[in-house]
Amino acid sequence: MGAIESQNTKWAGTTFGTSWMHRSLIGMLRWIDVRVLYAFVAVFVVPVTLVVSPGAKVIYHYFRRIWNQPVLKAVWSTYRNHYIFSQVIIDRFAIWSGKKYEVTVDNYEAFNRLADKSDGFVILSAHIGNYEVAGYHLKTDKILNALVYAGEKDTVMANRDKLFSEMNIRMIPTSEDMSHIFQMDNALTSGEIVSMPADRMFGSVKNVVKTFLGHKAKLPLGPFNIATMRGYDVLAVNVMKTKWNAFTIYVKDLEYDKQASRREQVSQLSDSYVGELDKRVRQFPYQWFNFFEFWEE
Amino acid sequence: MANPELINEVKEHIIDALHLEDITPADIENDAPLFGDGLGLDSIDALELIVMLEKKYGIRIANPADGKDVFKSVTSIAEFVSSHKA
Repeated sequence: MGAIESQNTKWAGTTFGTSWMHRSLIGMLRWIDVRVLYAFVAVFVVPVTLVVSPGAKVIYHYFRRIWNQPVLKAVWSTYRNHYIFSQVIIDRFAIWSGKKYEVTVDNYEAFNRLADKSDGFVILSAHIGNYEVAGYHLKTDKILNALVYAGEKDTVMANRDKLFSEMNIRMIPTSEDMSHIFQMDNALTSGEIVSMPADRMFGSVKNVVKTFLGHKAKLPLGPFNIATMRGYDVLAVNVMKTKWNAFTIYVKDLEYDKQASRREQVSQLSDSYVGELDKRVRQFPYQWFNFFEFWEE
Repeated sequence: MANPELINEVKEHIIDALHLEDITPADIENDAPLFGDGLGLDSIDALELIVMLEKKYGIRIANPADGKDVFKSVTSIAEFVSSHKA
């Protein structure tokens, strides 16, 4: 098992823009094709973002260090990454405005198998692609509790609420007092689904170090601890943008030996998670949207 | 007042549940705070302790807020276990 260490990194990212801007964007998307907005952001927004956003530097390092790209290629790749991220954000608002996308689910049977059981289970996601799409398309009678960043803008939360409430989805906002941990445990013991990202710190400082894309990276220990604490089944769900109007939802069983020691269970589960994440990021390197220095120096 | 055997047993369960491999039962003071300045535990650890009580002693703490008093120290956990066993 990788060393368990302390880290002070804390994510505080929110969707860019004011509530008024978000409402206007949703209104606009009812009338215009998303590709018009894609073209607009490609020319006017992304170049500015590359200059002013601290995330651009992080992604540049990602392409330079993790993918060993030369300087100019890494700059171009950073532009592509930000462009696709802008598309994903536009897609999110387009879905709220009622636009439809082609969605394919890879390994739906794994999800259905767990959804049909009476026990709760855990979904581990990551900051790649557009995970929110999974919430709109994976159908089940179980309540799906999604851990979300509490500082997100009102319009974003209101629109999620509106769509999610029609779909048996409940949001659990992260909390300074970490009461979200107990809410997640209560949901799981009630036979519900809990979904959370396992690639970003949410308050707790404990982490596990694993090799990801060939380099040592820190993952939060919490999601793996919560999943193994009562021996829940775990799925990795990642949603990747495959065309301008299409997504694929990749579902993967994350195996671990429930009879092994807890420490070993956490190690095996985090290995399974990293293995799947590694595969998806290698498949879609431009859809890595974890805008902080993820890898150890 | 919890007996010394139970206090030692609780310490061993805490070490096991929280993977405190470098710590022995003798390193944990009976009345030292477990959270904050003590062992430096956080809320995930609190949940681990709740699950530990369920698995080892069959005691369920339904309201996590109640855990504050129970998980003050090893002694308070042992007394809580003892009172539920009685």
